[in-house]
Amino acid sequence: MARNDILPTACKSFEEDLVLFYYGDDSAADHRRVEVHLKECAPCRGFVEDLRKLLPQMAKPKELPPKFWDDYYAETMAKLTVPQERNNWWKDLFVPMRAWMLPAFGTAAVTALAIGLVIGKGNWRPFSEPREKIPQEILADTNQLEFFRSLDLIESLSSLESPDGTKVKPMSDHQS
Amino acid sequence: MNQTAQQDLRDEEIVALCQQGQGEVFEILVRRYMEKAFRIAFDFTHNTEEAKDLSQDAFLRAFTRIKQFDGRSSFYTWFYRLVVNICLDYTRRKGRVVWERLDKETESGSGPVELVDTSALPDEEAIAGEAKRRADLTLEAMPNKQRTAFLLRNHQGLSIPDVARVMKTTEGTVRVYLHRAVAALRQSLLEFV
Repeated sequence: MARNDILPTACKSFEEDLVLFYYGDDSAADHRRVEVHLKECAPCRGFVEDLRKLLPQMAKPKELPPKFWDDYYAETMAKLTVPQERNNWWKDLFVPMRAWMLPAFGTAAVTALAIGLVIGKGNWRPFSEPREKIPQEILADTNQLEFFRSLDLIESLSSLESPDGTKVKPMSDHQS
Repeated sequence: MNQTAQQDLRDEEIVALCQQGQGEVFEILVRRYMEKAFRIAFDFTHNTEEAKDLSQDAFLRAFTRIKQFDGRSSFYTWFYRLVVNICLDYTRRKGRVVWERLDKETESGSGPVELVDTSALPDEEAIAGEAKRRADLTLEAMPNKQRTAFLLRNHQGLSIPDVARVMKTTEGTVRVYLHRAVAALRQSLLEFV
């Protein structure tokens, strides 16, 4: 534990190359260049030595017993089976229909839209639109409208004239 | 197809079979990658049960998304990315790993399976344990990307181009991450060399 006070510092310009050198991830040319440098530079040699001692240790896990992996495998497969079933049950219902379902529903939707447009043309009233408000007194009089119309008709009968300019006599006069 | 022939299938052939509806062959990929998936998850969580859950979750996701695999990368790159993303999500969600809890579980004997080699002599064992703990703490303190690059290269043995593919970054960036991670670890572990 006495390394802290004599920490050998690798050349800053080489440090990244030394890491790649250790892992063998450098190009052949870089590898040769680092090898030449290492022959001359003790701190860099120390740096690579440290990596060789430390890094494999970190990556070395203890072997787990075969039972652990058997259980792991069994659990994983059990978990995989559940979503498979969950995903499939509803799909199975639709499998026989799948081939014709899309065009059939498409045609039905277009037909319904066309019929709706033809029949409902000009009659469409949104449900939310409020009815036109008519005053109550007028509404009460609408029942008598026919009566007033008939009176108008009788009055206009008296003013009817024949084509030659003479007034037409009312029916009651003819009879008398 | 018999069992031996199935075992010899390449990853991409297995994926193709799964995509054609033969989901049962996925179990070959589980056998092939379960140890690696668990180890990565353990490196992130330091907890056996959580590592198990996360890595199994990765298999589950891989299976349910197998039709989305387009073969632009190798299956293992795609799968590693799933595992790493799940682990990173976990660490973000959970925050820092509580090392004290790991120690307590280990002391009480009911804790997770210990991955430190305890076959050495007691003194060496203690030093190795302390060194491992220090290394883990240093890794924990690192930015996620540095740690991921280091774990994939050092622990999983992925090449730098593969690490770059898994992390969806450039090889140059991975080299920088790796260098920073290694330098930090060496600095913190010098007294154990």
